[in-house]
Amino acid sequence: MRLRVHHRTEYRYPEPVSDSVNELRLYPPDTRWQKRQYAFVSVLPASRLRHYEDLNQNRTHWFEIARPHQRLVIESRAEVVTRQKVNFSAFPYGFHHDDLPRCRFREECYPFLQESAYVERTPEIWRRALDIRGGSTDVFQTSYAIMEHIYREFRYQSGATTVATRAGEVIEKRTGVCQDFAHAMVAFCRAIGIPARYVSGYFFDATRDHHLRGSEASHAWVEVYLESFGWIGLDPTNNKVVDETYLVVATGRDYREVAPVAGTYYGAGGSLMEVSVSVRRLPDGPVNGGEKDVRDLPGETVAVGKEQEPSVVSIQSVQ
Amino acid sequence: MLSRVADSLYWLSRYLERAENLARMVDVCRYDALDAVLGDSGETWRPILYAMCSEEAYQVARRSRSEELDVGRFITFADENPDCIRHCIAHARENARMVRDQISEEMWLELNSIHLFLQSGEAEDLWRRQPEALYREVIKFRLLFEGLIDATIPHDEGWNFIKVGKYLERADKTSRILDTLTYGDEPERGRLASAMRSCSGFSAFRGEYRGEISLRNVVGFLLFSPSFPRSVRFCVREVDRVLHAISGMPSGAFSNEAERLTGSMLAQMNFSSVENVWSVGLHRYIDGLQAQLNQIGQKVFETYVLLPSEIRNVARPEVWQIAWQQSQQQQQ
Amino acid sequence: MFQFYQKESFFDEMFVGEDESVFPHYQGLRERLGRLDDAEISEKQRRVDTSFLEQGVTFTVYGDDRGTERIFPFDLIPRIIPDTEWRTIEQGLTQRIIALNLFLHDIYHDERIIKEGIVPEEVVKSAAHYRPEMRGVDVPKDIYIHICGTDLIRDAEGRYLVLEDNGRCPSGVSYLLENREAMKRAFPRLYRDYGVRPVDHYPELLLKTLRHLSPRPGQAPVCVLLTPGVYNSAYFEHTFLARKMGIEIVEGRDLIVLDGFVYMRTTRGLVQVDVIYRRLDDDFLDPVVFRDDSMLGVPGIMDAYLKGNVALANAVGTGVADDKVTYAYVPEMIRFYLDQDPILENVPTYLAWRDEDRQYMLENFPKLVVKAANESGGYGMLMGPTSTAAEREDFAAKIRQTPRNFIAQPVVSLSRHPTICGDNRIEGRHVDLRPFILYGEDIEIIPGGLTRVALRKGSLVVNSSQGGGSKDTWVLYH
Repeated sequence: MRLRVHHRTEYRYPEPVSDSVNELRLYPPDTRWQKRQYAFVSVLPASRLRHYEDLNQNRTHWFEIARPHQRLVIESRAEVVTRQKVNFSAFPYGFHHDDLPRCRFREECYPFLQESAYVERTPEIWRRALDIRGGSTDVFQTSYAIMEHIYREFRYQSGATTVATRAGEVIEKRTGVCQDFAHAMVAFCRAIGIPARYVSGYFFDATRDHHLRGSEASHAWVEVYLESFGWIGLDPTNNKVVDETYLVVATGRDYREVAPVAGTYYGAGGSLMEVSVSVRRLPDGPVNGGEKDVRDLPGETVAVGKEQEPSVVSIQSVQ
Repeated sequence: MLSRVADSLYWLSRYLERAENLARMVDVCRYDALDAVLGDSGETWRPILYAMCSEEAYQVARRSRSEELDVGRFITFADENPDCIRHCIAHARENARMVRDQISEEMWLELNSIHLFLQSGEAEDLWRRQPEALYREVIKFRLLFEGLIDATIPHDEGWNFIKVGKYLERADKTSRILDTLTYGDEPERGRLASAMRSCSGFSAFRGEYRGEISLRNVVGFLLFSPSFPRSVRFCVREVDRVLHAISGMPSGAFSNEAERLTGSMLAQMNFSSVENVWSVGLHRYIDGLQAQLNQIGQKVFETYVLLPSEIRNVARPEVWQIAWQQSQQQQQ
Repeated sequence: MFQFYQKESFFDEMFVGEDESVFPHYQGLRERLGRLDDAEISEKQRRVDTSFLEQGVTFTVYGDDRGTERIFPFDLIPRIIPDTEWRTIEQGLTQRIIALNLFLHDIYHDERIIKEGIVPEEVVKSAAHYRPEMRGVDVPKDIYIHICGTDLIRDAEGRYLVLEDNGRCPSGVSYLLENREAMKRAFPRLYRDYGVRPVDHYPELLLKTLRHLSPRPGQAPVCVLLTPGVYNSAYFEHTFLARKMGIEIVEGRDLIVLDGFVYMRTTRGLVQVDVIYRRLDDDFLDPVVFRDDSMLGVPGIMDAYLKGNVALANAVGTGVADDKVTYAYVPEMIRFYLDQDPILENVPTYLAWRDEDRQYMLENFPKLVVKAANESGGYGMLMGPTSTAAEREDFAAKIRQTPRNFIAQPVVSLSRHPTICGDNRIEGRHVDLRPFILYGEDIEIIPGGLTRVALRKGSLVVNSSQGGGSKDTWVLYH
């Protein structure tokens, strides 16, 4: 599916601010399942943009604006061709809970079994996760059950939580938005040993009445690790196995590691933020560089490294 | 509708009406010249130059040329004559070009092709060989175009402006044709008949007046006939009707100067007779008519194109809000 | 049909090698043309020409007192671009227009690209179209170039290169649309079988782009097209677009500025205008601020614009990005603002204001095309290889006098395309491509663009005013 995304974030400050330094994770990666046609990230006031690849291999752009300014606009435009990852008539069953301990020592899984900034490990979460699992022995089946549980039992409500709300609180209140749902699911999974990571991206609402949640903003969901299959996406906000309507922008242990925009500035608080996201489907044509390229791409690799120092985060967008 | 567009449609229409009338006049005149005593043919053309107020331009043009300049050519093609048929059509086309998005494709194609034809050597060749065929071409085009105006564009505001232009021009031209009769001696039957033919009014005249052709009858007919579509009265009545259609005012009332002047002129025409004409003298009477027609044209321009009062109103902030509201609704 | 075809040493859009083999996407066309005889070609050509003339698809030639209208000669053989090639063009142009907009925003605000030494200050400030009035002004939606026509050429290897960006009032899109209509009539079956991406939604996209700028959100915006008038060479295009968009086409005298708002005069009174698609250069826009001898503009319109009461597309001051000296820095802009390499490259460019470049230019005229930095439409140009000694002297003097105003580029042997020439012989003629980019809420590029062809044998100048013609451009679905 050929998807074109335009993601615009605008901040307005009541008083001029200065010395703004920001990191952006807005650049969709090339993977086996999606092929980037182009992606352009831009900033106003116009500034020099630089980038590095972070610990999770997300392309991270950064910039600084020293001069006083009252407005900051960050835009990304991308066109990506996605490919169906899951065969919906044959779900990837067959990976058992008993086999999970093997994952603990895999480099690509280890970080996604640990606690992280938004995801605690508590006996309460563990007990709840076990309840949801019930008698399931299959990891995919359990993951699916967790997704369904959140979708059914949690209330989708914006404003009830903030960008800083952690998984434990979400699970207790059973209320939140996609960011919270994803954190809750990650917490449940990790609690019972399923490697789970937080994904930030977009999706195209292909339903006729556009009833899915989160298509008007940047979205978040979860990927769990299934041996011999790899990472598979589950969207607890919409109770969906991630298909070709989803487009991945960044992955990490939790929101902290994938925040589309994060940074600091000097000045009074009280900024106003306005986000708009549009995802359009374009007519399918050949993929630039040829269809083969998508299939021939190497599988995803996730590097593991030291935990990142938490920084002062004062600019964040709720997902 | 954009004021300039209304203005262009108005002039498009006026120029075409002018071209048609010229073609009719020249054609009749040329035909009469055949009957004239040898060497006297120049005299036959005099009245038409007089009516067009282009006597002087003609003399200037004639002196500047090495070869003899035929009056027919002067009125049809001469670059020195700003009102020649070729120029009228070119002006009409220029106006049409400015509002191409407002007229139908067919209107544009027809107008453009007659324009291209008149600009080409082909037209002059035809004229040299068979002048009447050329005039017939122009008149036929005009009739076709009239049909297209009625059949291919919405009968909305723009269409009404086209009608205003047409009837004002026609009234003016009919009055000028009448004016040719005041030139020189008391017109004899031949000249009266020519005037009638220039207005294509002979058969209609016979129907209305059964009796013999006389100056009195011809003047009565061309000025006051209530049903002949080229009489001045008929034209003024149409202008009055169309102006009311544009403003939405009930007839009898008026909302601007153009309507007021037209209404008053119409009343005057409705209640006048040849006796009134005779009492002031035909030439003076026609002068008066032409001045009134010019004034109406001027007021239409001011009311719908210049908008002086609108602009004064808008400059006061509390008023422009209201003015804007009204104009917004019009966009629907 | 092609028996006398000489490919010569140029990159040919249709023929692959010296033998008669063609690129796969040209196979169908070649077969169709092969079945036509002379009479059929002449007949099709005649029909197309007549329909163009009758519909008034014409342009006016400047310097011709009678205001003669000509049709822009149209060649029946379409230029065909396969999908993958087009994707690259589309991506490259998207990247470029984002960078150009950032650049314009930057030079009228913080000037970071100047302060960091990427683009010299004097290049920006001495550009003829730099508008100090725009410093510190926030334009609607931060977009400067809403409509851009970027000229692309292909070099001897077939690579697409950017020749110039037209970010002021690019014209030609109406020919693109009319050419398509003509081709659909001339070769209906061939067209259908080829799977060509449509272009006829352009007016819709353009209107959407304009409406996006309205300073009165929530209300139906009043958009108008501002034309210099019927004597402008692109007047046909102005009426064409206005008609297709269903908006008023206005001249300067139709607009009036009162208390900082713009109104148009209508028969129902004054109507406030929100967005103006102006096909009038900055210079003529407002006689109060710019050229006071301009009869075409609207006095006070800049005041309304700077107050944010009316939006203009394109914004005022975009001419800096058109400047041929600025052009040379676009790849650097892309690296600076977007942290990427350019997808489409520039033609190598020598700047006369750099001493060493100027020296090179003066010594190598026969190898170069010299261009005035601020002219467009093929005016103010010296074609080195075919120039006379007198012309070269003339240009050398001008360059020495005002080096800032001149650049030079090596003669790029533009690609050639089979074209019907005299006696229905098909010969190779040089072509370029002008795609049209719309930058509104989204960035949209109409598939293809106007392919211009230099009809004179050997000529590299494709401008309509200089003996160029055009072709329909087919971007394929596959």
